[in-house]
Amino acid sequence: MSVASDDLTKPVPPKRRLALKPHLIQDKIFYGIARSAAVGAVLIVALILGYLLFMSWDTLAQQGPAFVFGSQWSAADPENLVFQIGPMLWGSLLIAVNGMLLAVPMAIAAAYFIEFLANSKIAKIATMVVDLLAAIPSIVIGLWGVGVFTPVAAHWAKLLNENLGFIPFFNNTSGSFVNSPFIAGWVVAVMIVPIITSVTREIFSQLDRDVINAATALGASRSSTFMKVILPTSSGGIVGGALLGLGRALGETVAIFFVLNLSFEINWVEVVESRGGSIASMIVSFFGAASPEEVKALIAAGLVLFVITLLINWLAAVIVAKAQPWRK
Amino acid sequence: MTTSPIETAALPRPEKSPWQIKNPKQTRALILASVAPAIVVLAITFGFQIDGTIAMLTMFLPLQVLSAGAVGFRIYGKKGIADAGLVIFTIFFSSLVGVLLMSVLYSVITEGFKALSPQFISQNNVYITPTTSLEYGGVGHAVLGTFIIVGITTAVTVPLGIALAVYLTETTSKTKGAVRTLVQAMSGLPSVVAGLFVYAALITSGFSKYAGWLGSLALIPLMLPTVTRVAEEALRLVPVELRNGALALGAPAYRSFLSVTLPAAKSGIITAVLLGIARIIGETAPLLLTVNYANSTVLNPLESMAALPTYIYQNLDSANDTSLQRAWGAALVILIFVAIIFSAARMATRSASVKKKPKKVAKND
Amino acid sequence: MTNLEIANAHLRSEDVNVWFGERHVLRDVSLTFPVNQVTALIGPSGCGKSTFIRTLNRMHELIPGAGFAGKVFFNDQDIYNPEVDPITVRLKIGMVFQKPNPFPTMSIRENVLSGLKLSGRRGYNADEIVETSLRRASIWNEAKDRLSDPATSLSGGQQQRLCIARSLAMEPDVILMDEPCSALDPGSTRRIEETIVELSESMTIVIVTHNMQQAQRVADQTAFFLAEDGMPGRVVEFGKTEDVFNRPTDPRTNDYVNGHFG
Repeated sequence: MSVASDDLTKPVPPKRRLALKPHLIQDKIFYGIARSAAVGAVLIVALILGYLLFMSWDTLAQQGPAFVFGSQWSAADPENLVFQIGPMLWGSLLIAVNGMLLAVPMAIAAAYFIEFLANSKIAKIATMVVDLLAAIPSIVIGLWGVGVFTPVAAHWAKLLNENLGFIPFFNNTSGSFVNSPFIAGWVVAVMIVPIITSVTREIFSQLDRDVINAATALGASRSSTFMKVILPTSSGGIVGGALLGLGRALGETVAIFFVLNLSFEINWVEVVESRGGSIASMIVSFFGAASPEEVKALIAAGLVLFVITLLINWLAAVIVAKAQPWRK
Repeated sequence: MTTSPIETAALPRPEKSPWQIKNPKQTRALILASVAPAIVVLAITFGFQIDGTIAMLTMFLPLQVLSAGAVGFRIYGKKGIADAGLVIFTIFFSSLVGVLLMSVLYSVITEGFKALSPQFISQNNVYITPTTSLEYGGVGHAVLGTFIIVGITTAVTVPLGIALAVYLTETTSKTKGAVRTLVQAMSGLPSVVAGLFVYAALITSGFSKYAGWLGSLALIPLMLPTVTRVAEEALRLVPVELRNGALALGAPAYRSFLSVTLPAAKSGIITAVLLGIARIIGETAPLLLTVNYANSTVLNPLESMAALPTYIYQNLDSANDTSLQRAWGAALVILIFVAIIFSAARMATRSASVKKKPKKVAKND
Repeated sequence: MTNLEIANAHLRSEDVNVWFGERHVLRDVSLTFPVNQVTALIGPSGCGKSTFIRTLNRMHELIPGAGFAGKVFFNDQDIYNPEVDPITVRLKIGMVFQKPNPFPTMSIRENVLSGLKLSGRRGYNADEIVETSLRRASIWNEAKDRLSDPATSLSGGQQQRLCIARSLAMEPDVILMDEPCSALDPGSTRRIEETIVELSESMTIVIVTHNMQQAQRVADQTAFFLAEDGMPGRVVEFGKTEDVFNRPTDPRTNDYVNGHFG
């Protein structure tokens, strides 16, 4: 009774796509809840973006490109409203870059120390502390910035100015060293160092130990293993973690609010000067006394900030996915 | 037992492998290299009254690099120099991280304890001015306010986040990737913008005054991405064989999820909730824009309420020594909450790997 | 095929074709599984035999992008009829997987009863079902004193027999086994084979196996699957186990069963 289906002349019957189709009413509810959650999440994002766009429209149309590039903010004359966030936007970027320049080397060093130098007991404790510190609210860091760090950092800033004042970065004509982008940058760095360290350490720990051991077995020194094996394989992840920190740094509000003197006179690079800008801090300082028109302008500023953060996060996702194809 | 002649004829093994041998001379050089620069710099700093930071950066660090490089060269040859540089770089920056972070922890704990007392935890801020002595007033109202605001957010966000995670893991929908991207985009929303959104949409429009529930509303988009991401990871870690096992027994999808997948992912889901709470518990800007602050104990979320972060903000803003002390106290209270949340999350993750104790089973189900 | 066998054939496939996305993996598989007989599906890796067994209780559609054509008749009803709820199919046609998959959050006893609980059945005698199911899966003696221990405390072979007991508790008419012994040691394999032979007195069993001795030991009839040069998998030979192994009609079957390839 041997039967075989060897007849290849028979036409292939039409294909049916099989999909999960719930028959039970409970299953329909189950999938319905999941689907409505997805719709809800999409709606939240659409609502926020749509509303921000809608409210910003007047300001953006009225002010034009000067909204982003100009440096004047005046709601005094209702006939001639001028809302330009140039110094604030530049200030946000300046502080964020400042923070990144400090935080990234510190984070890489700390992650390398935890994963490759420290013994397992110290590494375990350090990992726990770093993860805990990543969750410290930014207002606490702001409090520390005001109460503890400002005098120290102002002292450092003064030293930099006295010894390296010929470099434009450390130029200071006002004689005041507090409330500067330099201090805000440090505070932001302290805030994001645990985040970047956490990501970097995680990536270091996922590296294939065999590859590292193989490099060592081939006679590579510690430094050449680090430069030629560890850094190249984990660079994508580190950049992703750093950009994640950058996103947080740009959106930081209250910690910067207390350690920065907001000024609409643009401060290009003089980081130790006592004036700077930050979109997020500006929103918190201005919203209470703002006229309806000014609120719209603040929303437009918030939208600009959101779009920049979105771009950075998207870039981070792309870089991480590119550099670590095995993670998805 | 006989041993083969080859083994007995083997050369006597050296006590240590060649790479482990460190002669006393090298050890001495190592110690000298790490101690000498410190002594020299200390002497110069005190002898000439030079500023500590300058001495550290301009003398100690170069000297340390030089001496470590020299010793590295002596012991390992040329490649020892680069290695010494790497180790010095790592230790210098790691110590910087350690000093900064420890300084944050240390100051919150020491300064916070000065303010901490039973009445600081239990009392509210009525009749308290920036100069009132620390014996009166406290954060009781702010703790309760934080619990209520964060509680409402959690009650809304956790079911939503878990349902989203179910959508992302249990369905075969084609729009999954897009939804995941959108939810992660939400994590890029600056918290102040979330607050501004609620402020403009519901407060300046005249719909409501400052109120606790508006704060909860503003916190939802900040908490949702964290809860969804961690819960999705937790559900994804449940092996597909378990789901298939349940479905092959004729289980409907919802029962398979509730009785098999969810229990298996329990600790991950708890972690998702805790990390979500940790993410929002200290958010200040959204609350400033939507809740404002209250000095009395308000339990009605339709009214303006107090919360720990805004309490810190309020006291920091009045910039007086006593109020600053109150701010430290409140910071310590938040820190304690965060620490509790984290230990709970760690315990949840650990209990998953520990074998569960056998449960008593009822005689008849 | 005699008329008697057709009358007893309560499970049969008719021109089953399967796709993963655009990839056509199975073509025109028509097999008949007579009542209370063991059918072995053999063939080299990637020939689609595991895929085919999953179509028999509609587990195949859990894979995203699954495509299907053809019919599977169970008691003369096409289980792929859109009106049919796959849940009712799986209640009657149980399945045991390659890797033992007891539910780790449940005890041994809870695992046996899990199917009843999961399908929402009520009013059963739990103790009796636990004992009969474990006995039929021949693991009662090892498990009776530790019913409330977690299922994960059992050894791999015991876990697999627990999974069989879990299926038996549902009193299915058919049990599908997808390489049930591939993750087990020889001792456990032998015990499971004995269980299969005992069970076949009261139910229909379909088993996918890589092990040709196993097919000869347990199966009444055998189907040989083969996928040649990127073509979809097909059934090359199907008949009584004895005939397939000793008097194959197709030279490729002969090569395979005598170990010339695969």
